Amino acid sequence: MTSVSEAAAGLRSDASAGRARAGLVAMAWRIARRELRGGLGGFRVFLACLALGVATIAAVGSLSAAIERGLREDARALLGGDIEVRQLYTPITPEQLAYLEAAGPVTASRQTRAMARTLDGESRSLIELKAVDDAYPLFGAVETAPAAPLAGLFAPDAEGRPGAVVDGVALRRLGLAVGDPIRLGDGLFHVAAELVAEPDRLSGTGFLTLGPKVLIAESAMAATGLVQEGSLIYHFYRVALPPDADAGAFKAAFTETFPDAPIRVQDFTDGAAGLRDFIDRLTAFLTLVGLTALLVGGVGVANAVRAFLDGKITTIATLKCLGASNRLVFAAYLIQIMVLAGLGTVAGLAVGAVAPLFASGFLAEEFGLSLAFGVFPLPLLLAAVFGMLTALAFSIWPLARAREVPPAQLFRALVAPARRWPAWPYVAATIVAGAVLALLAIATADDTRLAAIFVAGAVGAMAAFRGAGLLIEWAARQAGRPRSTALRLGLANIHRPGAATPSVVLSLGLGLTVLVAVALIEGNMRDAIRERIPDEAPAYFFLDIQPDQVEAFEAAVASVPGAGRVDRTPMLRGRIVAINGTPADRMPIAPEAQWALQSERGLTYSAEPPDNARIVAGEWWPSDYSGAPLISFSADLARGFGIGIGDTLTVNVLGREMTGTVANLRDIEWGTLQLNFTIIFAPGALEAAPHTVLATVQATPEAEPALERAVTDALPNVSAIRVRDALDTANDVLESIGLAVTATAAITLVAGVLVLAGAVAAGHRRRVYDAVVLKVLGATRGLISGAFLVEYGLLGLATAAVAAVLGAIASSVVVTEVMQLEWTLQPLAILLVLALSLVVTIGVGFLGAWRALGQKAAPLLRNP
Amino acid sequence: MPHPTHDCADPRGQAEPVVSLQDVRLTLPSEAGAVEILRGLTLRVDRGETVGVVGPSGSGKSTMMMIVGGLERATGGTVRVAGRDLSTMDEDALALFRRDNVGIVFQAFHLIPTMSALENVAVPLELAGVSDAFGRARASLEAVGLGHRLSHYPGQLSGGEQQRVALARAFAPEPVLLLADEPTGNLDGATGEKVISLLFGMTERTGATLMLITHDPRLADRCSRTVRLVDGLIQADGAAPPRAAAAQ
Repeated sequence: MTSVSEAAAGLRSDASAGRARAGLVAMAWRIARRELRGGLGGFRVFLACLALGVATIAAVGSLSAAIERGLREDARALLGGDIEVRQLYTPITPEQLAYLEAAGPVTASRQTRAMARTLDGESRSLIELKAVDDAYPLFGAVETAPAAPLAGLFAPDAEGRPGAVVDGVALRRLGLAVGDPIRLGDGLFHVAAELVAEPDRLSGTGFLTLGPKVLIAESAMAATGLVQEGSLIYHFYRVALPPDADAGAFKAAFTETFPDAPIRVQDFTDGAAGLRDFIDRLTAFLTLVGLTALLVGGVGVANAVRAFLDGKITTIATLKCLGASNRLVFAAYLIQIMVLAGLGTVAGLAVGAVAPLFASGFLAEEFGLSLAFGVFPLPLLLAAVFGMLTALAFSIWPLARAREVPPAQLFRALVAPARRWPAWPYVAATIVAGAVLALLAIATADDTRLAAIFVAGAVGAMAAFRGAGLLIEWAARQAGRPRSTALRLGLANIHRPGAATPSVVLSLGLGLTVLVAVALIEGNMRDAIRERIPDEAPAYFFLDIQPDQVEAFEAAVASVPGAGRVDRTPMLRGRIVAINGTPADRMPIAPEAQWALQSERGLTYSAEPPDNARIVAGEWWPSDYSGAPLISFSADLARGFGIGIGDTLTVNVLGREMTGTVANLRDIEWGTLQLNFTIIFAPGALEAAPHTVLATVQATPEAEPALERAVTDALPNVSAIRVRDALDTANDVLESIGLAVTATAAITLVAGVLVLAGAVAAGHRRRVYDAVVLKVLGATRGLISGAFLVEYGLLGLATAAVAAVLGAIASSVVVTEVMQLEWTLQPLAILLVLALSLVVTIGVGFLGAWRALGQKAAPLLRNP
Repeated sequence: MPHPTHDCADPRGQAEPVVSLQDVRLTLPSEAGAVEILRGLTLRVDRGETVGVVGPSGSGKSTMMMIVGGLERATGGTVRVAGRDLSTMDEDALALFRRDNVGIVFQAFHLIPTMSALENVAVPLELAGVSDAFGRARASLEAVGLGHRLSHYPGQLSGGEQQRVALARAFAPEPVLLLADEPTGNLDGATGEKVISLLFGMTERTGATLMLITHDPRLADRCSRTVRLVDGLIQADGAAPPRAAAAQ
């Protein structure tokens, strides 16, 4: 009987526990709803912080998705076919062509670099020459001005000069108009039309090209005299498969049928692979920057929640006195915070979702990209989850602290509630929320290694700034009592209980660190590209010099006063096909070395080590070496390939496979702009293969035009690449990327400023009170302003100093380890950030102080 | 019946009074039209006097005190305190004037919550450029029996202790005039009694002039003179307790 009643009681208590839980949530919701009626006044910074971070991540994700979808929708046109087959130097074999033609219509084209000149030879320009057959293009359309079918445009004019369709950039550079004659290599053409758009512009030899495009008919290619043995000519074959055909399967079948061909085969899903890689990397990077903004904003979230709960102390105490449990209090306020977080997140998503609309113009102009418009749920969902998780991770702690404080103390603690840790479940919940946030950031990143480094860096930086905040407080305490009252009050403000020092240092510091790092990375890249051109850097690269033209080339250079040292080296292109006998695509290759396998690499042979060679392993061969093929290889790539001295590399040059043993490893400094080859063969292996000569020539800037004219007049098949032009092109690209990166980095600073403004606003009531009491005790406005100046000035200075150190460390790691460039500290960039920090802290701090100073004393002092 | 302002018990009656109000008025604009808070107040307080200011709520006691302390500006009349005409001074000059002449004790204590007791007391001394500000602050706190609470923050002190800190702060710079607005209003009887003993003891010891707003008739009785305000005007002024005057 007893046991039955006990069991029944147990059941009842189980049921009542369930009811109690439901009741608790319902009650918490009712309290939350009533409290939310109070408005969003204290939550402006909270909402802005979340919205900013979420908007950044959503915008980057949406933009990337829009570009991806745009690329996918135009994939066939971008590649020029369902299948693209590319081979360097020579056309594919008749059997291979027949195999392709059996699958569907094929268009063949050839592409090479060449020089275009005016008839009088006064103007000239490096161009990308593309010779196309009648079937071109299989997908999309070539747009010309005037608009006309290509076949008609390519037809010879009255004087028998075949037509060329020339990019507007080349026309302007050469001062030509439609109808004018133009010399391409050795051949005489006429400008039939301006090239406006080319569907497969991004495909072919890469999306970064050095010269504007010129289209001619395949049949007119011979007239240019550019087709010579060993010249760098890419042969393209593009196939339109039947609608139901599987491009991937066809690609696999073709590769299997012709396994040894030195051919690159792509299907349309690989289209614009270089650009996609680039977009992916940029997206990954910008997403991380967005996450930083969100983290910085998280500090603002925590501050806002704390300030909000400080204002609710009497309400909470009253609720508790009336019988509300700790859990009910926690739940009621958690619900409120999450509802508000939802609002901030939705606002951020709305901004992020429309971002592609605003970026489309810029992207179309810079990269010729057309975006697919639409709402992309996945990136938006991800941004939303990031936002809500951040809000949760940063608000559990202050919520739990409010829950812990007994009502009696709540009534009493005016400013500095006793600092105590929340109960362990809440500490654990904070850690879990943070860990989920970190894991999500890593799991959703394309480059998980980069994301993991970022997370570790972010945690490290947060710890560093937390430590820095404590250190600054400690130092202010240790500073003793200086004679100046303003200085003493300012210092005291920094370390007083409840001071905003830790959160300001943390949030502003994170933002400034990102800005310093980005500024230093950008500055170092710019230096590497433009300002740090070594004195001995060549003025020109000359490509495709035939071995029998070397004498004429030397003579042409010698005829130009101001032209200096000439370096020549034989040059072939070959693809690394096997490592230690295993096909390269089956080898585990480190990501940073993948690029070396993606296309043909420049090769040379030499008896002597290059002047700039730094042998780091093995020995250079004797100058009279003859024997089995030996290779001198790039030390970085060897690391990436996981090979060393004694291992073998097999290279396919013009269809012939050549296996050599690695005899030594060189550290290559690409920044010197001298001739550098990843692979140098010992004498004996490559001399017989058809090759051209690559030359670099130093020249004074004044001699540059004469040098280019002398060489390309004497040797019309030779292409001249002006180093300055190449660097300018790279610089232009860097500048447009730099803008996007800096803009995103600036967002983290904006988040930092928001947090600072929030901290100042949260302390406003206290500051007004302090200012009023100080005035009662005889402090002038000047003295109180001076104290504010000291407080915010020192805070800004100390924060910027720590940010400068951390940002410099981060940038040096990125510059030296990821980009493999030389890193130098750029004091100007750091000074700018320091100045910015001071302007921001003093500016925002003063804005708050100004309002505090203007407050009338009497109303605050009257008895209640 | 107003007490003649020149008729006071001070032996140095010919000297300039510490507080001299002539026809002081304060009119504040409000949505319902201008509100007259003070309607022509004239009062003279001489050095060493202890003046109890009594009157019903809204009679203008606190406003008069704010005007004497330079915290509120009269809209009419002349206000002279410690020989200075407050109406010609700007905000900063008023601050310096308070620093040098006036100590104020509030009902709500008005300590700076983020400063320790010692720092709170040292502030006016520091502002005055006193070289041994913290030494004197310590002595002042010891004088109110809080030598063991120097590093405590206001939030860690009881109400009585907070008011004693406020007393120490007000007296530390040795002002000529001490203004106290319901200093025991937030304290229980016993604690209030202790604070009042300190207040009067210190006033006597430093020779300061005291103006004390209170609702407590016993407290008013301890003053050498009592002024009763009603509706913005002085209704009674004399050595006799105002309730006696009111009863007459």
